[in-house]
Amino acid sequence: MSLWRYLGRRVLLLAPMLVGITLLTFLLSHAVPADPVTAYLGPQASGDPQVIAAFRHRWGLDRPLPEQYGIYLWNLARGDMGVSISTRQPVMVDLKQHLPATIELATAAMLTSLLVSIPLGMLSAVRRDTMLDQLARIGSLIGVSTPIFWLGIVAIVVFYAYLGWAPSPGRLSMEIPPPPPVTGFVVVDAVLARRLDVAADALRHLALPALVLSSYSVGVVTRMMRGSMLEVLGEEYVRTARAKGLATWAVVVRHAARNSLIPVVTVIGLSFGGLLSGAVVTETVFAWPGLGSYAFHSATALDFPAIMGVGLVVAAIYILVNLVVDIAYAFVDPRIRVG
Amino acid sequence: MNGDQGGGVPRFNRRSLIGLLGGGLGYPAVTHLLGPETARAAAPSGTLLVGMELLMKSIDPGRTIEASAYMINHAIYDSLVTFDGEDLKTPKPQLATGWKASPDGKTYTFTLRPNVRFSSGNPMTSADVKWSLHRVINLKANTKFLIEGIEEVLAPDPLTVVVRLSESKPSIIPILSSPSLCVVDSKVVMENGGEAGPDAKDKDRAEPYLSAHSAGTGAYTLGSYIPNQELTLVKNPAHWRGAPKFDRIVIRHIPEPATQQLQIARGDLDVATGIGPDQAQVLRTAPGVTVKTSLIANTFYVLMNNNPQIGGPFANPRVQQAVRYALDYAGIMAIAGAGAQRLASIIPNSFPGSLDPRTAVTTDREKARALLREAGVGVVRGRITYPAGATSWGVQVDLLVQKIQTDLNAVGMTIDLNGLASLTALQEYRDGKNQIGVWGWTADWPDPSNFLVYLPGRTVGKRAGWPADAGPEAAALAKLGDQAEREVDTPKRVALYERVARRIAEIGPYAPLFQPAVPYAMRSNVRGATYNSVWEVDLYALGKSG
Repeated sequence: MSLWRYLGRRVLLLAPMLVGITLLTFLLSHAVPADPVTAYLGPQASGDPQVIAAFRHRWGLDRPLPEQYGIYLWNLARGDMGVSISTRQPVMVDLKQHLPATIELATAAMLTSLLVSIPLGMLSAVRRDTMLDQLARIGSLIGVSTPIFWLGIVAIVVFYAYLGWAPSPGRLSMEIPPPPPVTGFVVVDAVLARRLDVAADALRHLALPALVLSSYSVGVVTRMMRGSMLEVLGEEYVRTARAKGLATWAVVVRHAARNSLIPVVTVIGLSFGGLLSGAVVTETVFAWPGLGSYAFHSATALDFPAIMGVGLVVAAIYILVNLVVDIAYAFVDPRIRVG
Repeated sequence: MNGDQGGGVPRFNRRSLIGLLGGGLGYPAVTHLLGPETARAAAPSGTLLVGMELLMKSIDPGRTIEASAYMINHAIYDSLVTFDGEDLKTPKPQLATGWKASPDGKTYTFTLRPNVRFSSGNPMTSADVKWSLHRVINLKANTKFLIEGIEEVLAPDPLTVVVRLSESKPSIIPILSSPSLCVVDSKVVMENGGEAGPDAKDKDRAEPYLSAHSAGTGAYTLGSYIPNQELTLVKNPAHWRGAPKFDRIVIRHIPEPATQQLQIARGDLDVATGIGPDQAQVLRTAPGVTVKTSLIANTFYVLMNNNPQIGGPFANPRVQQAVRYALDYAGIMAIAGAGAQRLASIIPNSFPGSLDPRTAVTTDREKARALLREAGVGVVRGRITYPAGATSWGVQVDLLVQKIQTDLNAVGMTIDLNGLASLTALQEYRDGKNQIGVWGWTADWPDPSNFLVYLPGRTVGKRAGWPADAGPEAAALAKLGDQAEREVDTPKRVALYERVARRIAEIGPYAPLFQPAVPYAMRSNVRGATYNSVWEVDLYALGKSG
């Protein structure tokens, strides 16, 4: 099957999967033993039947559940995700304001993770049992086992409060008016607005939370890369390559590394999911106004349209990442055919 | 401003690259590569930076009763009446220069301040006041309880407003200080979907407009607002009290109190309102930071369900009394934190009608045990429902509840804890299903009338299984409460509220605990900071020296 047909089939599967996600999110969020009236109307108003009726009517909560779900799907099909009860903005607008912050953060964390963990895993395997290997193993163990909120707070205390190397938490310094939103990515928008000082400020703010967020995936990917590399280095074709007199770097990079990457790619895909969930905590600690903090507010406030919106977006990201991982297999190992 | 390390020329060398690859150690390299914070140095000096938990569902004044929104709207809009600084006892004129009540207390006539203009340039007249109040009446939103009892609002001439009530209600004056009842620019709001007529509930479409623009006479106008992220205020140079001191105020949502603490300590914030007692303690010794605490018009109390089917042994008045004697109030006050005050009843000490805290019940475990024996209900077993993990006005609810459990167990009761997710716990409380609960009630306007909710048959009374017809004592108390609510003569009114408070302390299914205080911090060059229990920090009063 060609790549295009495979992609087409996966995209077609996307729609029923997303509908399934909406149903699941809808059922779960309505199973919570609390009423949005409790979350949204004050203690006085929640005792007034007229106010309760007006509230339920305004947000469509006075209709039977199947009807509410049907209306949601119908609107969704027309590109309308509803209005958030807790921000009073269309969910689409909320997502546009929150998602880029998280993508910016997760991408920076992923890049950091790849830049650090793949070379480190390779070095660790090649220099097995040396001091470097031991340090890398201890480092990755710490990365995997340290709670991210704790690491975040420690990082802020050390790098921001104590050493003063990091700027204040948030996406930009508060005195700097944000660039006009075009893409929602502050760095990109600042460049588009030709404000390189603002872009630099945004990058400075991005660095520490991205490092903290990447800690878990750095740990996992380094360990995976090391293990996989060790296995490959013991293979006969590596010995053959060495025997033919190839330089060490050529053996390691061209023969061993490429073959070691297959299981690592899977782990990278999985750890991207970890980045998204880790973002909820990192965003709170770093006052980072992303999807994680939006999801948290929506869930604790029983903001049904927002919860559904977040569920859909996160599901779509997961599906997309999995797809990218599947395609990446084919590039890493030409023997693997997608489909 | 912050004492950042001077950066010099950005450098890129092998060592910084190795550092970059080294993960956490790479941080200095990243900051070196990006250079110093050049943009920060250019920040205008007329900017005030505020960190807070900026969580609110709406900033449309007619649709919000949240503290954060009140703080913002108090800067953007003005009301007929206001209160100065932290005082909650004396209503002062704001957009009204004065008012007069009719002898029967059912009609109030307000004289408006002349020559006041909205930020649009439109003059503020009685028509705007009438329209604004009618909008709140007809929206039937969460603000409706504020205008309960208002029959009509009349505008006989441009500078006179008449408010007619269905019955005497002197609390209407402090109620009219609420930022929810501020005066909006009726022309502008109508042009943008505003509706104040009887069908406003379905036809009003002004909320999106009011989330992005302001339409008030206040000292600041709304610059921008991204929910749960950031809000900026811009100076209104034509404000009637004189232009405010800052060109721009940036208010950022910083959910983590520890983060706010670090930011104010480093000078990246001028004011932080979202810190807790732990952060306040550290900041008190930080150079360049001033910490204040302000009493909140709130009652923390223990609820014991008076309905025997739900309360079980805790519906017994002697058991309720035993609980009041069993609690170790000194220990509880330590959990309440610096600045909190013990309460003798359910009206906070900030209001006329409250009881002297020295008359509050004191711990007497022997008496508690004796009362339990007298009650003769056998083993007293109960369950405290509370929002697990919640912090309310700086008080860690888990700690407080554990303390109460320990105290009650110490006199021979067996108490279990039932910590639930906040909304679930709140739902159970509102449904009147808590056997024992630990909650608070916060004033929506500065007046003791807020706390009549504890009366039998009123909001909290019902939640405590205490209907107005629970018995002759309850019926008499409910009547006394009605009388206090309607009394126009101030000394008589205060005396009636004191009687209500005393009676609730004696027979109510509650154990009043304390009135909390919240800490807030500012840089030492910030002047004029005051904290009002309803609208928090008065942004207009703030200035900066040096």
